[in-house]
Amino acid sequence: MFRLFSILVVAIFSNPLSWTITKAYAAKNKIILTGSSTVAPLVSEIAKRFEIQHPGIRVDVQSGGSSRGIADAKQGLSDIGMISRELKNEEKELFAFTIAKDGICIIVHKNNPVSTLTDPQIIDIYTGKISNWKQVGGKDAPITVVSKAEGRSTLELFLNHFKLKTTEIKSQVIIGDNPQGIKTVAGNPNSIGYVSIGSAEYDFENGVPIKLLPVSGIIANRKNVKNGSFPLSRPLNLVTKIKPTGLIKEFINFSSSKDVNDIIKEQYFVPVAE
Amino acid sequence: MTKSSCRKERLVTSLIWLCVLLISAVFFWIFGEILWNGGSKLTFDFLTLAPKQAGRGGGIGPILISTLWIVGVAMAVSIPLGVGAAILLSEFKSSENIFILLIRRSLDVLAGVPSIVFGLFGNAFFCKTLGLGFSILSGGLTLACMVLPILIRSTEEGFRSVPEDYHLSAAALGLSRISTLWNLLLPAAVPGLIVGIVLGVGRAMAETAALIFTSGYVDRMPTSFLDSGRSLSIHIFDLSMNVSGGDPNAYRSAFVLMLILVLINALASFTANYFFKRRIITV
Repeated sequence: MFRLFSILVVAIFSNPLSWTITKAYAAKNKIILTGSSTVAPLVSEIAKRFEIQHPGIRVDVQSGGSSRGIADAKQGLSDIGMISRELKNEEKELFAFTIAKDGICIIVHKNNPVSTLTDPQIIDIYTGKISNWKQVGGKDAPITVVSKAEGRSTLELFLNHFKLKTTEIKSQVIIGDNPQGIKTVAGNPNSIGYVSIGSAEYDFENGVPIKLLPVSGIIANRKNVKNGSFPLSRPLNLVTKIKPTGLIKEFINFSSSKDVNDIIKEQYFVPVAE
Repeated sequence: MTKSSCRKERLVTSLIWLCVLLISAVFFWIFGEILWNGGSKLTFDFLTLAPKQAGRGGGIGPILISTLWIVGVAMAVSIPLGVGAAILLSEFKSSENIFILLIRRSLDVLAGVPSIVFGLFGNAFFCKTLGLGFSILSGGLTLACMVLPILIRSTEEGFRSVPEDYHLSAAALGLSRISTLWNLLLPAAVPGLIVGIVLGVGRAMAETAALIFTSGYVDRMPTSFLDSGRSLSIHIFDLSMNVSGGDPNAYRSAFVLMLILVLINALASFTANYFFKRRIITV
């Protein structure tokens, strides 16, 4: 026990030393990014490549959601925020840089005979006016509506496109992230959900029993997201409070360059740089 | 015994056995699924390499180190504090002292607080107010706050298991309070402390919500306590929730997490045995 105490004492006294060193180090050679949990895995990988090309520089990526990305960037808690949507009107004082695109698609179970839904039908399903698949040409079974938890940018994008309010959504299952949504729909033959196109296409290609429905008659795939024709798509943005300079500018330029297209594709997003 | 009461007895016995079977079935199901999906593909490289492709490739080397550091910080802070608090609490009865009653109640409330609340507190206090930023130290200190109530209550139970007579006898023999504490009370409290540590480490290892806001998400090998480090449970969460195709490595990481927990349990009971042998009396 005494040995434990002495270790603790040493730990307490040696920490302020290393702290001051780290603080001084942090000032110039460290970039902190926080925000969207969709963008974080992608930017983490970009950051690793950036660190290899710039020895001595450290890029710390923290997750937590788009709202946090905006808040931290505004308060100066991070150098760069990550958001998986456009800037809202009240956020226009921030600078946004698109590094990749992501589309949201409507998914149903593979065995569901329904292969297309119109926008009004989707709205009616999500507001509870249509509650059985036979009303939209499917079999006689109740529809399990899967929606996203509040605060997710996928939900915001979905609501914006279909001109819905959060309170109007009548869902049976609330999910957090894309793979969770895919797992829910794959495990429930009568469900309908909306998830990130990159994730859905990858899982679909790997035999997960789901089906990607077209939106407004346009097929849900990465190609249509990239050429801008797919209506339900979103940009993945880096945001800064002030016009980026120096190292931060360098990192943003690197992230939106074609040098990272392979990483973006690996994460099932759609690159924008040619 | 009449025939009907005999039948009743048999019924109750089989019901109790059914409960036990159900509970162990749930455990073996979880363990079996993780073992099946993760254990068979586990290699040594997985434990040492850095993650690649957002965790789909590579291993969990840096994450393992970060996790051990975070839990280490949490335990190094909470064990001395917890034992100290437990000694004080065990000397008083709630009915005698309003201050002690207040401490006990607040510990009970703290033990039930959801971990996300600890996470937000840790983020506000350790990361921002104390300026530690996203770091292993912030994460460890937040976890220390979280496991303290469990640790204190179970250690206190250990101290309480020493009969009043022994206190009096020790005083009558002229033993100093420190030597009474060291030779009599502490060895008696060790089993309780060990239970507390095992529960605490378990809770700390499994924690995601409190750590995502404090120790952070960075999966680089940590070089100091002030580096941000991703814990194993956050890695598992991220792989299964945010990374498409991350499932195989999520299972593998979960298997490693379970192995570590089993190891810690074994180590804890080994330490408990050592203390059992050292003590003078059997309680």
